[in-house]
Amino acid sequence: MANLQNQSALYAERPEWEDVVPLPQYESVKPLAPIFYTPEYKDATDYFRGIVKTGEKSLRVLDLTENIIRQNPAHYSAWQYRYKTLMALGVPLEEELRLMDELAVKYLKTYQVWHHRRLLVQQTRNPAPELAFIAGCLQEDAKNYHTWSYRQWLLAHFNDEALWANELDFVDGMLDVDVRNNSAWHHRFFVVFQSGVRKGEEDRNEVLRRELTYVKMQISVVPNNMSAWNYLRGILDHSKTPYSTLESFVAPYCEAEPTRPDDSSKDVVDLEDPFPSLDAHLPCAAAIEFMADIHESLGGDDNLEVAIELWSSLASTHDAFRKKYWEYRIREAQSRAH
Amino acid sequence: MTQDLKLLVPLHVSYIQNLGKSQDELAYHLTAHLRMNAIYWGLTALYIMGHKDALDREEMIGFVMSCWDEEAGGFGAHPDHDAHILSTLSAIQILIMQDALDRLDVDRVVKFILSLQQPSGVFAGDSFGEVDTRFLYCAVNALSLLGRLFELDVERTVSYICECKNYDGGFGATAGAESHAAQVFVCVAALAILDRLDVVDQQTLCWWLSERQLPNGGLNGRPQKLEDVCYSFWVLSALSILNKMTWIDSEKLVSFILSAQDPESGGIADRPGDMADVFHTQFGVAGLSLLGYPGLVDLDPVYCMPASIIEARGLRKGWKSLPRKSI
Repeated sequence: MANLQNQSALYAERPEWEDVVPLPQYESVKPLAPIFYTPEYKDATDYFRGIVKTGEKSLRVLDLTENIIRQNPAHYSAWQYRYKTLMALGVPLEEELRLMDELAVKYLKTYQVWHHRRLLVQQTRNPAPELAFIAGCLQEDAKNYHTWSYRQWLLAHFNDEALWANELDFVDGMLDVDVRNNSAWHHRFFVVFQSGVRKGEEDRNEVLRRELTYVKMQISVVPNNMSAWNYLRGILDHSKTPYSTLESFVAPYCEAEPTRPDDSSKDVVDLEDPFPSLDAHLPCAAAIEFMADIHESLGGDDNLEVAIELWSSLASTHDAFRKKYWEYRIREAQSRAH
Repeated sequence: MTQDLKLLVPLHVSYIQNLGKSQDELAYHLTAHLRMNAIYWGLTALYIMGHKDALDREEMIGFVMSCWDEEAGGFGAHPDHDAHILSTLSAIQILIMQDALDRLDVDRVVKFILSLQQPSGVFAGDSFGEVDTRFLYCAVNALSLLGRLFELDVERTVSYICECKNYDGGFGATAGAESHAAQVFVCVAALAILDRLDVVDQQTLCWWLSERQLPNGGLNGRPQKLEDVCYSFWVLSALSILNKMTWIDSEKLVSFILSAQDPESGGIADRPGDMADVFHTQFGVAGLSLLGYPGLVDLDPVYCMPASIIEARGLRKGWKSLPRKSI
């Protein structure tokens, strides 16, 4: 048989593996949950156990562990041993990263793929190419939790101005594609408010103003976007800005048919208080909730009455699902008033 | 239509019993790294359904002990797999549920668990070094069950959880990571065990949790994502620990979970129409127990184990589930 078939032959049939003693799966007890193997998987893992026993760290071990990982990306011992072998051999890790590029896309939801990558990048200390790689993965799966948290880790770990430089543009891009991507909103908060102050961002008031303008614009385009409202609350809480400063912005979103501004100003978007877009679904429950919070925070009986009315409308109509929560808010506010 | 659905207990019991005899080779061997967890999920589900003796006790204990990693001092997921904190917790939980904790070298296991804590306070899963608040929870849960919580550096552990708190009141897997319902559960449950629920911004978080409910009654794990039966546990247990279970529509959620059952072969899937697995079976049943579904045994949401066992160990915290409906 030509050697063309060699790559897919069992290790038991490869002459270059003759010197290794394969060790079968340990089964001294009748297993409660027995494993049924395909011959290829059984063969590969038998040989894996064999080389682990002898402590071999060679190039063929890289082949073997790659084989196992391709059959079972969650085999964490194979990953660990592969890493140890890479370190022992001192092979160029950039090559390993290219292999990982291929596997990561295939096995996006496997923890080990991402952790292995972290270990490699900590060794190469070359994080820049990772940003493009991560962006590519997010094209496949825009909300992948591992992918986003790997990006957050990378940025925080290396904490390099050059790495951070285009991050806001990157988030803008992700939100352009899907303004409801909660992972992207979270990442925006992380970049702007949770990772120190970078060059050009020293004027925190300016930064806050920019972010408020941004989130209000996004809300005006798609009001029923909980991620955007959470972001708005987050930045107000973070900067200790009273919610009441947003009252004129929020008001139109609380009505089914808000009075549109004067026609003459149709071409000019009010950045302070962008109006709901024409195709928005109104009233917006999140806006009503926000308005209720505004009135509650202002205090006094009149404001409390308005808040209660708003919460009641949520309980009965706009968010009846969470009736018990709105009733709780009403009770809480009333008991605090007396 | 869905109002007529009932929990098909006998079918799910035989589904779990038949897991060990699976004919589906490929899926089975690819999940060896979950085997210990799978047994814990199966056993807990059986317990909650009132059939705790449906699997052979000695065989199960034998399997658990065959996963002992003598070198590391912990349990792997499968014989000759390296020890990992996930499988170590499951092993401890199984031994406790089977009343066989005497088989364990407690000192060694405690040493293994404590060795995994990092300077930041988070725990690694094993020597590979992956860190995640899931592992932090496993450590806190395990040490508590073994009566050795006093050996933990609580301040450091709690400070890491604080680092994982986000602007929406939720918690992520690592500092800086997005809020996710499963991570919310592990952080809140760990804080409950450590008596540090003061860390939680309860109103904001519980509102975020209640907002996980979708019009079809199911719960998702993050805003704008799909519903999944397992969130019935992650979200619900956190709400139960914070005494806010009434903030979701329980009738709709019960219907959702029941509609994800496989009425032919048993088991529960992630959502209606998908294939069942033991993970979703356990968390569907666990969710139903917390929701007061009739005929089920009480579950402790902090430890995700039968409530009576946790109470007997003096570990019950102040959580509140919905009252059990009568049949």
